[in-house]
Amino acid sequence: MLRIALQMLMGDRAKYIGLLLGITFTAFLVTFALAYFAGFMTQGFALISENNSADVWVMDPAVNSTEMTINMPSSALARVRGVKGVSSAAPLSLNDLTARFPNGRFQTFQMIGVDDATLSGAPFLYKRGSSKILYRPDSVIVDSGGTSGKLQTPIYQKDKWPFDGVHLDAPTRPLKVDDELLVNGKRIVIAGVSQTIHRFPPRPLLYTTYSNAKRLLPSEHRRLTFIMVSAQTGVSATVLAKRIEQQTRLRARTSSDFKEDTVRWFLINSEDVGDMAAMLILAMTVGFGVTGIMLYMFTYESLKQYAVLKAMGASNSMLLKMVFIQAGASAFLGAGMGVGLCAIIGEFVSTIDFPFRMMWFTPIFGIVGVLIVSITAAMVSTRPVLKMEPGVVFSGR
Amino acid sequence: MILDEDKNIVVKCRHIKKTYGSGESKVFALRGIDLDVYQGELVMLVGPSGCGKTTFISIISALLEADNEGFCRVLGEDLSTLNSQEKTYFRGHSIGFVFQAFNLLPALTAVENIAIPLLIQGVNRAVAMKRAQTILDLVGLTSRSQAMPGELSGGEQQRVAIARALIHSPKLIICDEPTSSLDHESGQLILELLRSFVKKEGKTLIVVTHDNRIFNFADRMAYMDDGRIVKIETNVRTPDEKLL
Repeated sequence: MLRIALQMLMGDRAKYIGLLLGITFTAFLVTFALAYFAGFMTQGFALISENNSADVWVMDPAVNSTEMTINMPSSALARVRGVKGVSSAAPLSLNDLTARFPNGRFQTFQMIGVDDATLSGAPFLYKRGSSKILYRPDSVIVDSGGTSGKLQTPIYQKDKWPFDGVHLDAPTRPLKVDDELLVNGKRIVIAGVSQTIHRFPPRPLLYTTYSNAKRLLPSEHRRLTFIMVSAQTGVSATVLAKRIEQQTRLRARTSSDFKEDTVRWFLINSEDVGDMAAMLILAMTVGFGVTGIMLYMFTYESLKQYAVLKAMGASNSMLLKMVFIQAGASAFLGAGMGVGLCAIIGEFVSTIDFPFRMMWFTPIFGIVGVLIVSITAAMVSTRPVLKMEPGVVFSGR
Repeated sequence: MILDEDKNIVVKCRHIKKTYGSGESKVFALRGIDLDVYQGELVMLVGPSGCGKTTFISIISALLEADNEGFCRVLGEDLSTLNSQEKTYFRGHSIGFVFQAFNLLPALTAVENIAIPLLIQGVNRAVAMKRAQTILDLVGLTSRSQAMPGELSGGEQQRVAIARALIHSPKLIICDEPTSSLDHESGQLILELLRSFVKKEGKTLIVVTHDNRIFNFADRMAYMDDGRIVKIETNVRTPDEKLL
């Protein structure tokens, strides 16, 4: 009879394809929405991801994300270096600064000051060699950080550093090597343009050495935001983080823990995430609603057939099995197709810098979500199946 | 199965009543039906629309509960004492149905439709399909076994429905307006088929119909009106001589 249930399911091609497309769409929507959300969250801890050689991150005890930070005294670096099990400790400085373009336009950047000695934290440059270019005087590396159209400098010489006021409408082109900007009245030179992981929220980035950062923002007494620590061989990051916390009274987190902290911080504090989550929940509710209603309608429209089977001696439990096998088969097939479609489209959109990350839980959530909705719809639709009078099979009833 | 005191009685109904609704909206569908149907008989229930024919066969076939008054014993079973599961089992094993609208499952082939009663009983699919093919041959549709219901004519669909009603060898077959969707010729063929089966196998057939073109196939005619059987006639001709 289970085979007959499947034949009933697939017998009406148009209805079956409609149902399958509905479930596929829902699974796609749910999985894609979660992958999109995961993509944004991944961008939220981009700074940690791009410094994957750091085992432990040390920060002010009140800091619990990369998004909202307060700096530590410079002496913290020496204290951390003195902890047993630390192989190396590199300073990292995060500050916001406003740079002026040659045509007078200004733009806020997140400035990332990296260790002068090791350049730990500097981005990888695909086109123009090593990050050692930061050793040149006044040099910086810029990165769009997920923004677009914000690193534009004027094309023509007449629009650069004009004496007749700003030229905001001047034709522009993207920043390139050897272009110049002004920060606090000081010249900086673009030594490279990087393409690191996009940020959430998107913001232009400006990488320079720790000492150059000090020169550009002289008013800041404390510039040390993070200390990136590498553990000695054989020392676990978790143990080392605890040891650093005990000995320095600073906050020390392993990379993975700090990523989780940052995601949690966004979930709790970011209005953007709240808006995004509300939209995702709305989309998922619509998708789930469509799936549930379609499955219910499918069973409801088959009531006459169930009545015939019941009249011919099919028990209620047999009919229930048939309803559930239909719902389960549609849900599994539709969910599989939806997740597959999501993976294919995700693969494509990833190439255009779309925040998409198919994490382990996204397809599971998509499949389980669709299954739960399908089973719920099946449960609801069993009511008319159980309640129907098989006598409806006779004419006039 | 408990046999009735008269072993030839397949259906014995006394004072069967059925009401729908309550209070002012109460509708009396059956007002006290008395009827005996004997083994090997072809009984037709006839009467105007709304006279209670369908309600009556629904009660006989354990699809509907009668009111508490009276009793209905079918194939020796007092239907009022059966619970829902027992009624389901009883229908599945003892009764065959032929419906006005054929009620074939549109997603199944002719032979698969015929096999349904056996599959419901848990018979192995291969065995059920083999038996279905044999029955299909009996109703003259050998070449149409793999046709879908939508590809069959009305007469062919009804023959498939008859084969489905017969496959599990039920003792009682209940037909609801079996010819009303068919042309005259197809209707005659269907009744000939049913009658020949009943007479050969010693089964019992109750047919609800409006179609006076098939009245001559009946052994007895029960005329119903306003929830009662108002007249029972025995056909004077000898069916076996005239029809078989």
